[in-house]
Amino acid sequence: MSSRTKRLYDWLDKRFNISPLIAEAQRSLNFALPAIHTRQNRSKIFWFGYPFYYAGSIVAFLAILQGITGLLLAFNYVPSAIGDPGTPTQAYTSVQNIMRSIPLGALIRGIHQWGANLLVAALVIHAFWAFFRSPYRVGREISWLLGAVSLGLALAYSFSGYLLPWDQLGYWAATISVQIMRSIPVLGDLIARILLGGTTLSPVTLVRMYFYHVSLLPVVAIVLVGAHIVLVMLQGVSEPEEVWRPEKTGQTSGQKQAGPLFGPFLPHQITPVLILSLVTLGIVLLLGAYAAQMPGDPANRFLTPQFIAPEWYFLWAYGLLKWVGWVYEVVRFVPPATVFGIDLLSAKVVGILVAATMFLVLVLMPVLDRGDEVRVLRRPLKTAIGVWAIGLLSTLTLYALNEILSSYLSIPIGTMNLLLGSIVIFVPLAVAAPFYMILHRHAAKASAKEA
Amino acid sequence: MTDKTANKPEKKPRRRMDRRQFVQTIVSLGIAGTVVSFLSLLMSLLPSAGAGEEEGEVDNVFKYGPEKGTWYSDKSGTDVKLEDFDQVGKGAGVLWRGRFPAIVIRVDESKLQGATATSGLVAFAASCTHLCCISTWRLDRPNEDVLFCRCHDGAFDPYNVVRDVMLNGAEYSGAKVIAGPPPRAAPIIPIEITDGKVAGAAKDIGLYDYCE
Repeated sequence: MSSRTKRLYDWLDKRFNISPLIAEAQRSLNFALPAIHTRQNRSKIFWFGYPFYYAGSIVAFLAILQGITGLLLAFNYVPSAIGDPGTPTQAYTSVQNIMRSIPLGALIRGIHQWGANLLVAALVIHAFWAFFRSPYRVGREISWLLGAVSLGLALAYSFSGYLLPWDQLGYWAATISVQIMRSIPVLGDLIARILLGGTTLSPVTLVRMYFYHVSLLPVVAIVLVGAHIVLVMLQGVSEPEEVWRPEKTGQTSGQKQAGPLFGPFLPHQITPVLILSLVTLGIVLLLGAYAAQMPGDPANRFLTPQFIAPEWYFLWAYGLLKWVGWVYEVVRFVPPATVFGIDLLSAKVVGILVAATMFLVLVLMPVLDRGDEVRVLRRPLKTAIGVWAIGLLSTLTLYALNEILSSYLSIPIGTMNLLLGSIVIFVPLAVAAPFYMILHRHAAKASAKEA
Repeated sequence: MTDKTANKPEKKPRRRMDRRQFVQTIVSLGIAGTVVSFLSLLMSLLPSAGAGEEEGEVDNVFKYGPEKGTWYSDKSGTDVKLEDFDQVGKGAGVLWRGRFPAIVIRVDESKLQGATATSGLVAFAASCTHLCCISTWRLDRPNEDVLFCRCHDGAFDPYNVVRDVMLNGAEYSGAKVIAGPPPRAAPIIPIEITDGKVAGAAKDIGLYDYCE
């Protein structure tokens, strides 16, 4: 330290007592993260795993970017939806204004739009990567739980943000979500009333959504995601597979050691984070500059637009609703299952139950999966279930596009539904089953070899 | 451990609360009470009960809806007239009482089952009973006689009016669901024609606010 820096440091230390904090930070940063990219570990898994391993840091980077652009947008946005249906409200015109006449407004909004999409994409990768790599063993459950809740948080962010321009797409996407929410058994109507200030969308709803988007959710996000990151810093990133391959690294199985595997955060870990962040920034800037979308027609509660679809990451849920309806149409028999006035087998209740179950399974993974084995290839059942889930989500997403695909490929809608409907049933199974069989054989062979 | 249990002292005389304990109890109760009473302020999140109710006289005459690219687009917002429906199969998206989207159709009366037409016209609530998107007539499915919901491909048959039960338990007649996820028939709206203007004549308005 030069003497000037030293004097500054002393000045701060005297007033804020920072030296213990700095020492602690240095300690945790230096031993926190496994250096999967150090020369000793440049196995083939490195090239494959590298971007996935750092997906979480891309999420963090994009979240900061969303914060900055969102702050700038908030200076020019007017959260008012008062006006006749189908006429531009102040919310709508202010977004138009941002796009047209505010200097660099279109770029800022473009970055915010595309940043949100990429953030969810990175988050999905981060979540699936984590699911497969089982990082929720003893000591890391809280981290995992915070991560799972943050996933829900990101969806809440996008839900509230999508409505803010008060255009047709946002309005009807929100209407459908609200009606789905209302069909949650017992509590649905109350939840809708509290969240929206009524059971239909109104100017009150817009203000509440705006409040959630810019005030409530950021606070919750900073606390939860902050805790998630701090825990990762304290406990270290879950070790890569190499740690569990004693034959490769010469280390004892399952033990975390401050050996060659673990490089200090500075500079080893920050380097890939910075590289990936810069690449992400480049992509977001390009998309924001050239592919920013204007809001659609002003919201009109008496007119549903012709092609209506939610954002891509909600398409699977939309597809699920359609798909369950199609199954009932084909089977032509729905057993009566009305309990307390709730039709348990109606498409929307089934949709809610499926989504809730998936989220619950995700949250409860630390409880459901208590084994020691973390190697992806040695967990045939879990890995196969993960593959099946990815297959199901993708095929349901495809099913959601049935109308568009039908008119684009000029296949009659009935045929299209039959085709896509069968794909939803069979393709995920057809992919996951061989996966399971091959992995099962592989795992059996490998453990026999080890024994 | 065993020593302790073995030498367990004889029962102590019950001590009265000392001053420290008293203060601790009072303060904790006070804090708990304050928190609980502040929680009651969350009631304000619920909207007031009367919000959204109609006041005064409401015009029952249907007004043409805002759908673009249709035969009634240039009449949007004006009164629906009987003379406009000059052939069987002609229908329009309309608005009733300024709140309820509906569809008025000129039907072939000989084919209509379960209801009677008024001067050849029938009207149905257009809010889909599934998730409240607005159904259309011959816009998305130009060659089919169905009320079609764009959101999840639901379809209702206006020629087949059946009895059904609304979520609130009210019995009603409506267009039968023939495709897709809607759980209930689309409620019929009785029609009244005065001076050539087409108006809704339902007495129980509560039946139609299932989307609110």
